[in-house]
Amino acid sequence: MSSEPSILCAGVGKAFQLYAHQNDQLKQILFGLWKKFYRDKWVLHDVNFTVEKGERVGIVGRNGAGKTTLLQILCGITQPTKGEFRVAGRIAPILALGSGFDGLLTGRENARIGAAILGLSRKEVDACIDDIAAFADIGPFFEQPMRTYSMGMIARVAFGICAYAKADVLIVDEALSVGDEIFQRKCERYIAEFARTGTILMVSHDLNFLASLCDRVLWLEGGVVREVGDPKKVIADYRRAMLAEEDHASGVA
Amino acid sequence: MRRHLLASIPPVYVAPFERAWRNRELIRAVVRREFISRFRGSALGPLWAVISPLFMLLTYTALFSLTVPQLSAGMSVTEYASSIFIGLIAFNLFSELAYRAPMLLHEHVNFVKKSIFPSETIAWTATIRAFTYAGVAFAVYIVFRLLTAGTLPLTIVLTPLLVAPFFLFILGVVWFLMALGAFTRDVAHIMASIVPVLMFATPIFYRLDQIAAMSGSVALWLRLNIVGDYIEMLRSVALDGTVPNVFGYLALVAISYAVFIGGYQFFMRYKSVIVDVI
Repeated sequence: MSSEPSILCAGVGKAFQLYAHQNDQLKQILFGLWKKFYRDKWVLHDVNFTVEKGERVGIVGRNGAGKTTLLQILCGITQPTKGEFRVAGRIAPILALGSGFDGLLTGRENARIGAAILGLSRKEVDACIDDIAAFADIGPFFEQPMRTYSMGMIARVAFGICAYAKADVLIVDEALSVGDEIFQRKCERYIAEFARTGTILMVSHDLNFLASLCDRVLWLEGGVVREVGDPKKVIADYRRAMLAEEDHASGVA
Repeated sequence: MRRHLLASIPPVYVAPFERAWRNRELIRAVVRREFISRFRGSALGPLWAVISPLFMLLTYTALFSLTVPQLSAGMSVTEYASSIFIGLIAFNLFSELAYRAPMLLHEHVNFVKKSIFPSETIAWTATIRAFTYAGVAFAVYIVFRLLTAGTLPLTIVLTPLLVAPFFLFILGVVWFLMALGAFTRDVAHIMASIVPVLMFATPIFYRLDQIAAMSGSVALWLRLNIVGDYIEMLRSVALDGTVPNVFGYLALVAISYAVFIGGYQFFMRYKSVIVDVI
């Protein structure tokens, strides 16, 4: 059954082209064949991991460790500079809360567009739009312009789309840290519900949240996987490293 | 047999259509979104799409036709206004997109960077939207013409044959400007200074044969302006009731298609880089 991994990352690396001056980008297009106008900045070096179907994997790491870039690559938004990756099935990303939403449109209208972005046909959208509404459970607000929504309500609509888009892989970046305690508990329920049918990969700085939800945790440090495995162990190691760093920093100061 | 024929076309010539067809639900949803968010909160809503061209038409009829009789070259006042109006519909379409295209990716940065959004569809939605407005304006023209002249030339049924290649031409230009505009904001400024100049190099307030009567070589240069060629042909089918030169038309179609494919390939080539620089 688990012959085919849900997510496969083999030696993935990403270098951003760093330009000294904004207009060098244009020069690069025009004269790129003859001269290089940028420096490479390697954000990811050599990332290797696999995620099996139905697994819930959390990613931890400090700012700039390459977490968001890794998720963007897996979603197909940006291309890796080297290495191979494969994601089996339809991906539903929640990379930034409400990023694909238009504040003037109602929740229902935005949900339709969101579902279309994920690749649903009109018939499929018609079939699941009421389920999304029920899942979001925000009552009459669903027919109101989205600019009137709270963050929690936006998150519910976003989750509802992903839950009913028949996605196989849910990729979440930080989106869950916005809500209050009640909302976070709801998120846990959403994720548990989603994990019954699909794979989840999520980035969070909320370590307790990850510890309670994930089957495995992956620690990304300086563009490579530093440690991957049991959530309690990885998170404990990660905390220790953070503390050591803090001590070191304060010791110097 | 037909399948076989279609399959024999090199994929590069049909790739843009295939991708658009695959994303047709998305294109439809985003076009709808643009219309809804444009008209929501305005009292008259979609009526504005009719009112603004009507207002423009009446202004030009009143102003130009009465103050610049030399340009009208023997045409009646309403005929000259119609001629200007057709020119303006096509040119406004072009200029609106030329101004907007360099900023399109910046406007949709959340879509492009934060969701799995095929960014090349933005050109489709922007162009479809602009052509819808132009279509409404053209309907206003038809009504105006029926009211003032009482009749329309039969050749007006050929209009779609001009609109289709014009659409592809504009789409190619939008892709090209969209990609360039993502790399440097100068493109938007360049367009802002070029387009007004281009307006006078386009036969909007005059006709090419008037120029040709004055100076043949200038007219030849103006022929290079593809938007102008389309305007001239639109006038001949929708106003004069004549069929344009077939070879001229086919050349125009070929050039437009080349621009369409070229723009698409340019955009797709830099698409992955654009995500990183925007």
